[in-house]
Amino acid sequence: MEFNKDLLFEKCQVLLKEATKLGASQAEVRIGLSTTALTRLANSIIDQNVAERHANVRTIVYFGKQKGSTTVEILDDASLKQAVADAVKVAKISPENKDFKSLPEKQTYDEIPLDELVSKKTINATPELRAEYATLAIDSAHAIDKRVKAVAGAISHGLYEEAILNSLGVEVYGAATGSNINLTVLAEDGKEQTAGWSSDNRNDFTQLQIKTVAEKAAKKAADGFGMKYIDSGNYEVILEPAAVGGLMFFMSYFGFSAMMYQDYISFLRDKIGEKIFDEKLNLWDDGFDKRLVYRGFYDDEGYPKSKLDMITNGVAMNLAYDTLTADKDGVKSTGHNAKFRGRSMPFPGNLLIGEGNSNLDEMIAETKNGILITHFHYQNAVNPTKGIFTGLTRDGAWLVKDGEIQYPLRTLRYTDSVLRFFANIDMIGKYSDLNDTQAKVPPMKLPSFTISGSQKE
Amino acid sequence: MRDLTQIALETCSKEGASYADIRIVTMTGEDIAIKRGNIDSLNLRTVKGFGIRTIANGGLGFAGSYDITTNEIKRVAKLAVRIGKASGSTRKNPIKFVDVEAVEDSYKTPFKKDPFSVPTEKKIETLVEIDKRLREFNPEVIKMSQADYRGHREDKIFASTEGAYITQQITFCGGGFSCTAISPGTQPQRRSFPGSFRGNFSAEGYEYFESLNLLENVEKTAKEAIALTEAKACPTEKTTLLIDGHQLMLQIHESCGHPTELDRVLGTEAAFAGTSFMTPDLLGKLQYGSKLVNFVADSTSPTGLGTYGYDDEGVKAKKVDLVRDGLFVGYQSSRETAAIIGLEESSAGMRADNPQKLPLVRMVNINLEPGDWKRDEVIADTKKGILMSTNKSWSIDDKRLNFQFGTEIAWEIVNGEIGNIIKSPTYTAITPEFWGSMDAHSKDDWKLLGTPNCGKGQPGQVMYVGHGCGTARFHNIRVGVTKEATDTDGVQ
Repeated sequence: MEFNKDLLFEKCQVLLKEATKLGASQAEVRIGLSTTALTRLANSIIDQNVAERHANVRTIVYFGKQKGSTTVEILDDASLKQAVADAVKVAKISPENKDFKSLPEKQTYDEIPLDELVSKKTINATPELRAEYATLAIDSAHAIDKRVKAVAGAISHGLYEEAILNSLGVEVYGAATGSNINLTVLAEDGKEQTAGWSSDNRNDFTQLQIKTVAEKAAKKAADGFGMKYIDSGNYEVILEPAAVGGLMFFMSYFGFSAMMYQDYISFLRDKIGEKIFDEKLNLWDDGFDKRLVYRGFYDDEGYPKSKLDMITNGVAMNLAYDTLTADKDGVKSTGHNAKFRGRSMPFPGNLLIGEGNSNLDEMIAETKNGILITHFHYQNAVNPTKGIFTGLTRDGAWLVKDGEIQYPLRTLRYTDSVLRFFANIDMIGKYSDLNDTQAKVPPMKLPSFTISGSQKE
Repeated sequence: MRDLTQIALETCSKEGASYADIRIVTMTGEDIAIKRGNIDSLNLRTVKGFGIRTIANGGLGFAGSYDITTNEIKRVAKLAVRIGKASGSTRKNPIKFVDVEAVEDSYKTPFKKDPFSVPTEKKIETLVEIDKRLREFNPEVIKMSQADYRGHREDKIFASTEGAYITQQITFCGGGFSCTAISPGTQPQRRSFPGSFRGNFSAEGYEYFESLNLLENVEKTAKEAIALTEAKACPTEKTTLLIDGHQLMLQIHESCGHPTELDRVLGTEAAFAGTSFMTPDLLGKLQYGSKLVNFVADSTSPTGLGTYGYDDEGVKAKKVDLVRDGLFVGYQSSRETAAIIGLEESSAGMRADNPQKLPLVRMVNINLEPGDWKRDEVIADTKKGILMSTNKSWSIDDKRLNFQFGTEIAWEIVNGEIGNIIKSPTYTAITPEFWGSMDAHSKDDWKLLGTPNCGKGQPGQVMYVGHGCGTARFHNIRVGVTKEATDTDGVQ
C-alpha cells in the first residue's frame, strides 16, 4: 500500500510558502484525502451503494490577530495558491480576534504506529465483498425468525489520510482506516411491526461481526412483539452500551468543551472540582487507548492529544481545551481541537467510561420497576445549561419488574437532566464484545430516569 | 464539460450500464461570523467534483470524485457500474424508474444584487456593528453576541444516457444574529433574530440580507433576552398554543416534511432517520389534520431554498399536494420510489448536497398554504393561551409521531391580548392530533422561510430547504414539558 504522505506534505508546503510570500504572520494548513464506500441495505436488498473520493484543503492565515480562511476541494497547485490568496484577501479586511495569541508552536508526538491504525484488508475491500457481507447479514437475520420482514442498515469502510502543517513548525501526518456495520431489523406478525438494532465498528473490515450483529438485531426484533404503553414518570433504567454512548456524546459536547463553558452553555459552569455524579462514574478521553477503534495522537490543529480525565469517582475534573480556548483561560491546550461543520471548538471524541463487574442479567435481576433500553433516537439538548436532554427509545425497550422482563414497550420519550440521573448509579457492567459505538462504554443501571411521553401522548 | 459528460456516459454504457447520469458541480460559499467582538469565522468555500449514477445488473451504483479529469471520470464510471452490478446481486427485481422527458435546458435562480459581487468588507461592517450594538445595549447582562452571514452558490451540469443536458445555477444568502443575557442567580437566556441557528436564508441576492433589517431589530432582541432572565417559567398544562413562523417552519419540517418523503416511507432510512406513519395504504384515507391544513411540496415557489429548475434526476420542478383539506394525499418522491408505488411521475424531489454524494429524496419548499386569518385576529380570538416563537430544541420519533419542541420565548395570551413573557417554553404532541387541532392560520405574516440545516442519509448529507407559513393556532396541547419532567427532583 502506498500512502500519500509525501504528496500531502508537498501540497501543504505549497500552501504555507504562498501564505508566507503573501505576508501572513502565521498560517495553518490541512489537507485530507479520503476514499470511502458505503453499502446501504433496505427491505433486505442493497438499496444504495456508493463510493466517494474527497480531497479537502483548509487554509487559515493570520495577519496579527486578523484571520481569514478557505476550504476547497481542489488539489492542483494553481488552485491551492488561489485558495491561499483568497484567505489572505479576507484576512486583511477581517476584524481582529482579540482572544487569539498564536497557533501552536512546533510539537513532538507520541506517534501511534501506522500499522496499528491502518488495515490493508480495509483498504482492499471491494463492492463485491460488501455485497457478500450484505447477503450474509440479510440471510442471518431472516434465519432467526420467520417474522423478520426487512433488514436495513449500512456496511461501510474508509481510508483517511491527512497532513497538518503550520508556519511555526507543526508538521504531522496521520492515516487510519475504519469500518462499520449497523443494522435495524424489522419484523411483522400481521398485527404489529417491531424493530431490533445492533452495530459493530472495527479497524479491519474483515473483522466486522456481521453475523453476530444481524442475529442480535433480529433477536431483538423477534422479542419485540406484544408492545404496550406505560405511563410517564420516573423508572429505574438499564441502559445498554449504545444508549450510554448516546448520552455521553451529548454530555461531552455540551458539558466538557471549554468553548461551551466560555459561551455560558455548559451545565458544568462553576461545578468543576465538585462531586456532582455518582462515585462509580469515571469518564475520560484518551486517543491512545487501544480498546478504541478510532484513535489518534494529535488534534485538528496538529496539537498532541493527551489523556483527559473528565469525571473521576463522580467529580467533574477537567474541560477539553484547544489553543484558542486555553489561551483565553490561561491554561495549556489538552489537544482536543475539532473542526467540523464550520466550527472550530474543543471536543473530546475518544471517550471511555470505566467498566464495572456487573452484566445485563444481574441488572435485570436487581430491577423492581424499570425499563431496559437498546439505544436512543433523535436526542437533543432542551436546556444545555441545566444538562436537560430529550430523546426517544428505539429498536427495543422492555419493561422489567421484580427482576424479570415483562413485555416490550412502545416508543418512549425521556426528558431529564444528566445532573440528576447520573447523580446515582446502581450498577455498571462490563464492555460489550461488539464495538457498538465509537466510544468504549459499558451498560449501566440507574435508579431513576424520567419518561415524559410516548407515541400516544 | 459536455465532452466529459459524454465520456462518462459512454464509459458506463460500454461497461454494461442500462442507465447512467452524471452531475458535475462547483459549489462556492462565503461564511462570516462575528462573535463577542471578535472574528469567529471568515471562510470562503469551493467544492468541485462529479458524481456518476448507474443502473447495472438491475442494481443502483454510485461513485464520485473531486478530480474532474478524463482519466478519473473513466475510472469512476467503471467503478459506478461495478458497484451497480454488486447491488443487483441482492435484488429479486431490477430497479425501475418512472419516465421523464429528457430535455436540454438551463435555469438560474434570479437575484438583483449578486451576493458574491458585494464586497466582503461591507458584510463584515454590518455584522461588526450588529455585534457591537448588542453588547453595548447592556454590557453587564448581554454576555454573548454573534452575527452571521452566509452566501451560497451551486453551478451544476446534469447529463444522462436518456439525452438530458441541463445546466443550473442556484444562489441563496442570508444571516442573522443572537445574544445571550445572564443575570446573577438566573439561567442564561438567548434570543435570536430573525430565526435561530444563524438566521434565515432565501434564494435571492444580497437584497434579501439587506431586507432583514438586522440593525433595526438589535434593541428589541436584546431587550427580550434580558426580559427572559426575569420571566416566569412555562406552566405545565394543556392549553391553546399559537406558533409563529420561525417555530412553525420546523414543526412543518419534522412532522410533515420528513414523513412524506417516499424513500423513508419505503424503508430506505429505516436504520437511520427512521420510517414514517404515513404509509401508502393510508394515502387518500388518513385524516392528517383539520380541514384548514393544506400542505404542498413546491420546488417552483419563488425565493425558496427548495426552488430549482430541475432536480438531480433531471425532473422538472413542480408543485405536489401532500395534504389537502386535512387529508393525506401525496408524497415527495424520486423516479425510483414513484415507480415502486405505481405513481406516474416523480415529484422532482432528488438532490445531493455535494457533487460526490448520491442524490436522495429531499424536501423542497414544504408550505402550509396561507389561511384566511390575520395574525392579530388569531391573537384577538384567543381567550387564554400561549404564543411561542423561535426554535431552541427539537426531537421527534422515528415514525414522526411523538414530537417535543422548545422555543426561545413565549408570551401569555389573555383575553385576546399578548401578556407577560414566558421563559423556557416547551410543547409536545402526536402529529395527527396536533394538526387535527389547528383551527386558524394567518395569511398576512405568511413567509417562505429557509434553513440550510436538514440532515439525512448515510453517508450523511445536509440540505437547504424552504418552509412557507404564518402564525397558526392549536388546541389542547401539552406545554411546559421540561418543568413537568424535572421539577419534582429539584433540577428546574
